[in-house]
Amino acid sequence: MNAKLQSQLQAQINKLDSVSTAPAILMPLLDMLRLPSDKIRLEKVVELISYDGSIAGQCLRLANSPLFGRRQTETVRSAVMALGLERVRSMLFSLCMNEVIPRDKWVIAPNAFWRHSLGCALITQRMAQKIEYPDPEKAYLAGLLHDLGFLVNSVLYTEGFRECLRRAAEQHLPLHVIEEQVLGFSHCDTGPMLCQHWGLSKELVDAARCHHDVSLLSTAGPLACLVHLSDLLCRVCYLGYGYDEIMGVDLGGDAAWEILVATYPALKNMDLVRFTLDIDGAMDQIIATVDSVFGAKRLAASATS
Amino acid sequence: MPIEIAKAKPAVTPDSNPSDPAYLKIRDLIYRISGIYHAEEKLYLLVGRCARRMVALGVVSPSEYLEHLTTRGNRDAELRLLLNEITIGETYMFRHPCQLDALRNVILPQILQVKGLISLKRLRFWCAGCSTGEEPHTLAMFLLEEKDKLLAGWTFDILATDLNDNSLEAARAGIYGEYALRSTSDALRRKYFKDIGNKKLQANDLLKAPIHFDRINLRDDSKMLFQKGIDIIFCCNVLIYFDLASKRRVVQHFYSNLLPGGYLFMGSAESLFQVDDSFRLVHFPGTTAYWKPTATQAGGGKK
Repeated sequence: MNAKLQSQLQAQINKLDSVSTAPAILMPLLDMLRLPSDKIRLEKVVELISYDGSIAGQCLRLANSPLFGRRQTETVRSAVMALGLERVRSMLFSLCMNEVIPRDKWVIAPNAFWRHSLGCALITQRMAQKIEYPDPEKAYLAGLLHDLGFLVNSVLYTEGFRECLRRAAEQHLPLHVIEEQVLGFSHCDTGPMLCQHWGLSKELVDAARCHHDVSLLSTAGPLACLVHLSDLLCRVCYLGYGYDEIMGVDLGGDAAWEILVATYPALKNMDLVRFTLDIDGAMDQIIATVDSVFGAKRLAASATS
Repeated sequence: MPIEIAKAKPAVTPDSNPSDPAYLKIRDLIYRISGIYHAEEKLYLLVGRCARRMVALGVVSPSEYLEHLTTRGNRDAELRLLLNEITIGETYMFRHPCQLDALRNVILPQILQVKGLISLKRLRFWCAGCSTGEEPHTLAMFLLEEKDKLLAGWTFDILATDLNDNSLEAARAGIYGEYALRSTSDALRRKYFKDIGNKKLQANDLLKAPIHFDRINLRDDSKMLFQKGIDIIFCCNVLIYFDLASKRRVVQHFYSNLLPGGYLFMGSAESLFQVDDSFRLVHFPGTTAYWKPTATQAGGGKK
């Protein structure tokens, strides 16, 4: 991507906040995403959620979904406690983005997008735990945010991006390859720009930028490698972008795998078939959760803390 | 004279709560011994299989059944019976469409490209442990359907082997009922089977032509060494009954039997972790397979 295109994209992204009708909680929420986990205060989170009735309702729905143990949670406070602050913080974000993107601008179906994002978040987190990566919750967040560029492209380049998705689905090819052909850039360019604009950490920005480009991974650090592998696993487990891709992936021979093994030798002890079966087992729940939270008619603003 | 009614054996209802830790132990035992793994969310499947064995034994609690599998004298036999239960119902045609998609979309185009340049346009498949023949017949239908498309200009043959003579005899006869054909379309039934009455269909000559049946014991080294030049091997849920050493030897044989660039398919929940590290595990949508790299492909991953 040349410098001119980059500065054009950046200018568009800088205007994004004013283009979309962001819910009032977006900005305080972004402040919270920038904080380390141990600095997040329960009261602050509960206050934020309670501010927006629609989001509060969806948060309760999530806490009561099978993926999180189907708890009988009735207040925002108990929902937050049940889900854990970290989980709530990242889930709040996806609920919030759903409000940010106007309905007619969604190119990838919202359910497909969030299934992939939530799936990738969970897989990145589980893999992080398996290899003893020190911050699995950050891994979760990196997985959740890695494809933000799709939302940027949907809002700013709706028709061009729609054409990308159409061609990619028709040819069963990875979306980023077609984005490069049609738009001259991909979600791996616009996603990190938005992350940067929002002041998210360098690791999260890198994960969004490098998750398809193996040549960038060695300088990006382990989080980007984790997201790269999880994204591939997600896509072979039918949690892609809503169409069938033709792919055969040798994860053990992947550059990201080799980089990770050097720092986290526990990866060598991971039975990938078993790990894939575990992911496959969790798929139905991921799908049910996303559908129940984002798909169905949103709960009325009746929930209170 | 009053008729004495024999008292029915009291029905045993096994405790079937998947969160019982004993089931997790059984799951881990099965994984360790056979390589078959049940994810937490699929544990209920294993519980159902155990329940059948528990009823047969009159055992109620899973922890008691675990004893049957670990400490009782007949544990090896019981383990085998449980493995039979676990893999039962695996055998019907087109049971694994993802494997066929992987063949059509990725594996065959890859092999055709490499082989097309250097050798005869001929492909060799081997169903090792073909049981009653559902797998080779499915493969034959799939390949025959691709004959004028992907495989135009190519010939192929399928070696289908088993140790059990009764299974082989049934496979050769190629007679199937509704269960085996539940996922076979009407069009394929009409094209590749003849109706022999009594709700049975028999594979016709067109379908039988590419398949060659033979009796091979996978533990027989001399016979295993003899198989050469294979492109794709299917060996689903056969090695689960083998101990680690024999499993290792069979997989090493498979590696030599395959041409470089060839693939080995195992059962869908069957892992070769720590059994073999010569093969490379490749993920395809909905399935995995083991790949023998060619000299030039051995370096890195494929996207």
